[in-house]
Amino acid sequence: MAEPKIQNSSPVGESTPRIDAREKVTGAAIYTDDLQFGNALLYARIKRSPHPHALIKKTDVARAKALPGVKAVVTGEDFPGYIGLYLQDRYIFCRDRARYVGDPVAGVAAVSEEIAQKALDLIEVQYEALEPVLDPEAGIRPDAPLLHPDLGKYVVAGFIYPKAGTNISNHFKLRKGNVEEAWDKCAAVIERSYRIPHIQHVPIEPHIAIAKVDERGEVTMWTSSQSPFAQRNLIAQSLGISQSEMRVISPAVGGGFGGKAGVSMESLAVAIATKVKGHPVKLRLTREEEFFTAFVRQGLSAHFKMGCDKNGKLLAMENCFYWDGGAYTEYGVNIARAAGYSCTGPYEVPNVKGDSYCVYTNHPVGGPMRGFGMPEMHAGLEQCMDELAAQIGMDAVEFRKLNCLKTDSILATGGKIHPIGLEECIQKAANAVDWGRKSPASAPNKRRGKGIAAMWKAPAMPPNAGSSAWVELAEDGKVNVGIGGQDIGQGAFTISAQMAAATLGVPYEWVRVAAPVDTRYSPYEWQTVASRLTWSMGNAIVNAAKDVRKQILDLVAEAWDESPDELDIVNGVVISYKSEKETPLKNLVIYGLPNPDGRGWKGGPVIGRGNFMPKDVTGLDAETGQGEHGVVHYTTGAQAVELEVDLDTGRIEILKGVAAFDVGKAINPELVKAQMEGGLVQGISSALLEHLQLKDGFPKNANLVDYRIATSSDIPREMQSIIVEVAQDDGPWGARGIGEHSMVPTIPAIANAIFDAVGIRLEGPPFTAEKIYLAMLDAGIVK
Amino acid sequence: MTSDTHPALPEFEYVQPQTLNEASEFLSNHANEARPFLGGTDVFVRMRDGFLSPKYLVDVKNLSGMSLLTFDPQSGLTVGAAVNMNRIIASPEVQAHYPLLVKACRSVASYQLRTRATIIGNICNASPAGDVIGACLVLGGILHIHGINGSHEENLSAFFLGPGKTTLEPGDIVTAIHFPLPPQKCSGTYIKLGRNQLSDLSIVGVTAFGYKEPTCASGYRFRLALASVAPLPLMPTEVETHLAEHPISAEAIHEAARLASEACTPIDDVRGSARYRKEMVRNLSEKALTEVWKKLG
Repeated sequence: MAEPKIQNSSPVGESTPRIDAREKVTGAAIYTDDLQFGNALLYARIKRSPHPHALIKKTDVARAKALPGVKAVVTGEDFPGYIGLYLQDRYIFCRDRARYVGDPVAGVAAVSEEIAQKALDLIEVQYEALEPVLDPEAGIRPDAPLLHPDLGKYVVAGFIYPKAGTNISNHFKLRKGNVEEAWDKCAAVIERSYRIPHIQHVPIEPHIAIAKVDERGEVTMWTSSQSPFAQRNLIAQSLGISQSEMRVISPAVGGGFGGKAGVSMESLAVAIATKVKGHPVKLRLTREEEFFTAFVRQGLSAHFKMGCDKNGKLLAMENCFYWDGGAYTEYGVNIARAAGYSCTGPYEVPNVKGDSYCVYTNHPVGGPMRGFGMPEMHAGLEQCMDELAAQIGMDAVEFRKLNCLKTDSILATGGKIHPIGLEECIQKAANAVDWGRKSPASAPNKRRGKGIAAMWKAPAMPPNAGSSAWVELAEDGKVNVGIGGQDIGQGAFTISAQMAAATLGVPYEWVRVAAPVDTRYSPYEWQTVASRLTWSMGNAIVNAAKDVRKQILDLVAEAWDESPDELDIVNGVVISYKSEKETPLKNLVIYGLPNPDGRGWKGGPVIGRGNFMPKDVTGLDAETGQGEHGVVHYTTGAQAVELEVDLDTGRIEILKGVAAFDVGKAINPELVKAQMEGGLVQGISSALLEHLQLKDGFPKNANLVDYRIATSSDIPREMQSIIVEVAQDDGPWGARGIGEHSMVPTIPAIANAIFDAVGIRLEGPPFTAEKIYLAMLDAGIVK
Repeated sequence: MTSDTHPALPEFEYVQPQTLNEASEFLSNHANEARPFLGGTDVFVRMRDGFLSPKYLVDVKNLSGMSLLTFDPQSGLTVGAAVNMNRIIASPEVQAHYPLLVKACRSVASYQLRTRATIIGNICNASPAGDVIGACLVLGGILHIHGINGSHEENLSAFFLGPGKTTLEPGDIVTAIHFPLPPQKCSGTYIKLGRNQLSDLSIVGVTAFGYKEPTCASGYRFRLALASVAPLPLMPTEVETHLAEHPISAEAIHEAARLASEACTPIDDVRGSARYRKEMVRNLSEKALTEVWKKLG
């Protein structure tokens, strides 16, 4: 994309202050639960299944309805429509069957949350408990209980392949070269298996939605959301109303991490509201509910086999993933797909057999979480890379550099990779931890180790996920940018303003972003997911700002009788390089300009529009996973850590964490670094602490007492973020995403460092002090 | 863990008596339906979680004398029941004479919670995981208790009967804890092993305290208190005896730590396994006792 003429003081590439910093820091920002609705407001609570798997034989809501203060009680009988993003496999409320502990079976609206809660106890549900599926590999056995007998009838996206009559809701296959023949040519081969547990996003603000249905049936929903437009689309479809009859407003979001993408609990609030027209109905999840009834990151059972020749060149990989998709995999099926086409990691491998299965289980609903399958998949893959390197006698960094994708390398799915700076990332991350040099431990009872891991990730989305934007100006020449993407802390609003300012030629401080996102007034955005906003929405903003710029320059050119090519906008002033005339934007962008002859006016209020949609993504073959251009691009990078293991307790302390990612172009370097640090900390948290413990389908630690996340006291003493910039040809200023990538390689980097320190490897995270200590004890490393 | 979670506290009646006698009388007259509370950091959480649903919550923290923190160079320290942990941590006298108490308080939850949390509350919950109980035990804490028949004192070491169970009778209110002056040359430490660095409950907590004692064969008296490894806060007397009778050395401490590990009876729970806890009692007891011994010189 050609750059517009940009003045020297372009805010792109500058670490401009966050546009939303002041309101968030002072507490002035408005979050969904801050909105006031007056006396008509009702409160909803949800009756949930106490069984991981059961048939619902009978539901009696009469006593609940009779409780004073209760305004409506709804069940699955009331809402026959399916809902789901890639696979429509769930009802809003269970109808005949409950599939996880927490599955909604009924909902209540009442004048207070307390009365709604009391009414739940008065709803009588008769269940017939069924045998649950509690493990994905057990779930694919022919004799496993079938969780979705109607799987073959569900509406499904064209690139998802469910197997009717089984619990497999998607099977992605990758077939390249000939793996079987390749093993004999390998000088070293390893086979390993890993299990990655369920974790949860733990946003500081739990899910909340307030829905109101007016007398005509038009719906308004206020919610903390990454996906107002997808929610409009999916909920409207499920309820049988038109998308234009549904309006979603999303105020400030207190953390998303993927958990507030798609639709989870929002449809419940809307469904209940349809029965109490005129009343806003508020549903907010408790922290406990947040852990097991919103999306969780699905579990993974992964098997890797890989081999290389005597020089260390990778020859073959045979990787098989079984995703513990949970009760409904409407979103999770695409995580399995993403892991499938990315199964080699960021390496060139001539012979590949990859299978990625999304499997129904009676566990909480798996959904998108920062990384979308990549942290889970890389956790094992990048440990295998270390082990294979060791077996062939190569340094882990040299081994990765030898095999990693370089510009024009052939991808496992066919086609070539675009220009990338992965090798540079690996080397810079290694250098930053003095790779190859063993530093002494800080105490006699400590052991020190270093580890590195590389990664790749593409935006996983439909091939034609679109963005749009508008740009308008006020009388003072200042700018309002309309976008449908959400700021979930990553800084989307800030870079939107930077890009609009840079394209247009006005100071950054002149730009506002039209928030909150409101599907009635904001332009369409598919979802705030996949680390796609800077790239996709950024392109739409640039296009909208260019449209404005063209309108202004055409107007002034005509008025001055000059060519628009000789004009520019610098610091909010239109200037002519030819005549050296100048005029400020203010006034002319609303009132236009008088004709030179004094008769009439030119122009009018300026408003620009722009959109962006990838148009060159090809499909991947259902049997081989091959395709010329299966994804829009890959962001790649590496992390390295240095840590100490305490031999007395098994506790790990991360001394230094380094991230190096090729972001194409850092629109705002400090925000990019903030993403790298934040992702590293969340990665450390998932590596050392996080595990949603599920026993027989029941969550055991669905609270902040026993589900630990890293606090400010747990972060590394030293963090370093290294920005590598190899431009993306279709990115604004060359930018591509970084939001998710920064937590992808953390688990294996830490695992490799633990091995370096004490010589043990575990089946999977979290690498708790207890697991490390007992493994050292069993290995005789401690007594 | 069930599928039901509660968005709010259950209904209760808030009672604010004006005198200790009134409070004891009310609590005694409503023995099964009233609970006293101080900071509320435990009771409100347990009420919201559905484990407690008292009809009456009796606010005793404003009663006379409950907020006093007094140090007497002759008799020692008295901490009123309503004195929050941040006040204890900030007190120059506690810092000077009872640094172990400061260290134990600092390990509890977060700064914000410590502005509500109290030592007496921690003790009366009688959780085996209580972080400050160990320090109070090894420092020889004596509870001041007000009941319907007047006031009495009780040694903390005899106070605990089981998880959540104490010797308190209906109407009893612990008004303060008193600590005698510690021995001239003494030292103590608290090692808390949580899952992460900040604000966790302990997987294992080890309190060690020691001082020079010429009447012991070894010349030292050590006390050890263990958290989260038995139904009660545990003071393994084997350790005390061993270190009183054997010359203090790395080997003697190693053996004492082994005895501590043998004495505890931990369980598997969501925070840690019994096996790991026994190992940690041994390792951390050795570390804590060694640290105390080194400081005593």
